[in-house]
Amino acid sequence: MSLIKLTGLEKIYQQGKIEVPALRGIDMEIESGEFTTIFGPSGSGKTTLLNMIGCLDKSTAGEIVFDGHSINDLNSKELAEVRRYNLGFVFQSYNLIPVLTAFENVEFAIRLIDKHSKKERRDKVMSLLEEVGLGDMADRRPNELSGGQKQRVAIARALIKEPKLVLADEPTANLDSETSKEVLELMKEMNEELNTTFIFSTHDPQVMDYARRLIEIKDGKISKDQRRD
Amino acid sequence: MTFLINIAFKNMFRNKLRTIVSILAIAFAVMVIVFTRGLIDGMIGDTYSLYIHYDTGHIKIIDEEYEQKEKLLSLNYTVKGLENKSLSEMQADLSEMEGIEMVIPRLKFGAAVSTEEELVQMLAWGVDGAKELKFTNLERELSQGRMVEPGQREVVMGSELLKKINRSVGEKVTMVYTTAFSSFQGATFEIVGEIQSNLPLLNEQVVFMPIDTAQNLLYLNDEATELLLVTEDRELAGEFLPQVRNYLSQGGGNNYLAQSWKEGNTFIQLLEVSETIYNFIYLFLVLLSSIVVINTLVMIVKERTQEIGMMSALGLKSREILQLFILEGSAMALIGSFLGALGGGALNYYLAGVGFDYSAAFEDIDVLMNPVIYPTYKVEHMLFAFAIGVVVTTLTAIIPARRAAKLEPTEALREI
Repeated sequence: MSLIKLTGLEKIYQQGKIEVPALRGIDMEIESGEFTTIFGPSGSGKTTLLNMIGCLDKSTAGEIVFDGHSINDLNSKELAEVRRYNLGFVFQSYNLIPVLTAFENVEFAIRLIDKHSKKERRDKVMSLLEEVGLGDMADRRPNELSGGQKQRVAIARALIKEPKLVLADEPTANLDSETSKEVLELMKEMNEELNTTFIFSTHDPQVMDYARRLIEIKDGKISKDQRRD
Repeated sequence: MTFLINIAFKNMFRNKLRTIVSILAIAFAVMVIVFTRGLIDGMIGDTYSLYIHYDTGHIKIIDEEYEQKEKLLSLNYTVKGLENKSLSEMQADLSEMEGIEMVIPRLKFGAAVSTEEELVQMLAWGVDGAKELKFTNLERELSQGRMVEPGQREVVMGSELLKKINRSVGEKVTMVYTTAFSSFQGATFEIVGEIQSNLPLLNEQVVFMPIDTAQNLLYLNDEATELLLVTEDRELAGEFLPQVRNYLSQGGGNNYLAQSWKEGNTFIQLLEVSETIYNFIYLFLVLLSSIVVINTLVMIVKERTQEIGMMSALGLKSREILQLFILEGSAMALIGSFLGALGGGALNYYLAGVGFDYSAAFEDIDVLMNPVIYPTYKVEHMLFAFAIGVVVTTLTAIIPARRAAKLEPTEALREI
């Protein structure tokens, strides 16, 4: 069974009286453990597609099935529940909470689930921070970390609750090529180690080099879907 | 919830200056409330006591007609008992009634003392010295000598009045007055006590003498211009009023008027209304300071839009985002209200000892008010202001917090 199944997915934005179609009938399946990149020119609909898969936005038509359950009819509270337990996000601008330390930023995501004891939480967060190479920077706040380190914290935050799917929207856009490589290596490692599904949206050819599946979007439609071994 | 509280608290320090300004605005409003409540309470409480002591008692019995002629100090409308009862018997009956602790007769009339330069006019009060000492604060105000005793031709006067007539305690004074039969007469009294009071009425106007002496001089045997009843609790005076009125009407005293201290004086009624108005003013004050908090939170929501989007993406529900921002507003409200309550309390504590001299403002006003106002220091006022500060500010914080909670995650994440 696929982790995600999109059938005839459409999204139309209303700009005043004008209807702007962002997605025009997307059919796609993503299996568990995939490392997929969605690419395409600006305005092609990459981010919209990622938002739909990430339960952040609702489609105008078509169906999204996540882990065997249709999410089309879920209300905003139920969608938040799906995101809370099943999804991790990595953003282009990291979006860490500036007043929290690296440790607390990662812990934040797991506290929402609230099924771990304080000690379990601490051990889990510390072991993940060590895994992303920030074990000795747990007490640092985002303004004391470099861009690459911030993105590592964001990756740890996305992975801490062991989600079924991690969505990364242009995760290397603000990083230099060396740091981008390190971050991508890390995500690849996590994908292989934890079998977490990763979907990226990007312009960055370096990211595409790492992907095992490349999906190209043009004018709201899939124009290419290529798997690599 | 704990982690939301933790984040809300830490978020407060992201822009320290802005947070401090918001906290100070709340603290200032709360402090003003504590101070104003203390001041009003001190002023009104003291004024109520003064009116009760020197005008209305808890319940006042007078002749209906006397109400209109009281200012003229008329002796034509006295309380002289009931159909079959003398004033003394009436007093005895009233003091037996449930809830009535004391019955105080007063016989008020005009008198004057002639000095070399002028004729000094004064208010003569025939009183039961022992009862007056028990009921009023005269004991504290007696700076020299003692209170008047029954059967004696003696008086107690205020220090200013004594100065005006160039007399002192131990000396004699001759006073002129008009009797109940409108004849002009004079009598000499020994000055046995001096009153030193902030209250112009006591200091400059009133001369106390034994009521039996006054009755003899005025030919008003066993009569008084008013009877003051003292109940167990002034707030319960209204409850005992029906039985007093019933007693008067059954005894044929339909010409008498029995009024509680709240009914009998328009100034007191005015003060009561003003107390309610002040409560609205307090609310308005806090609402004003809340605008600063609303403004701060609106700015915060604008600045943290992307962060709200991120939180939403992580699975935070609208309700939790709402809570997060309300908590931040509440934290400011708590700190500000605490500091304000503490500051206001400290100010009142200090002023309760020193007092405010308002004599200049009261110079030409004919009200029974102590010209030195002592604000009251009460924990109750601090708690009231603290609660109003926290509740109102927290409630107003809902407005910007709702704005944050309503943000669509995709819209919020797009914001730069």
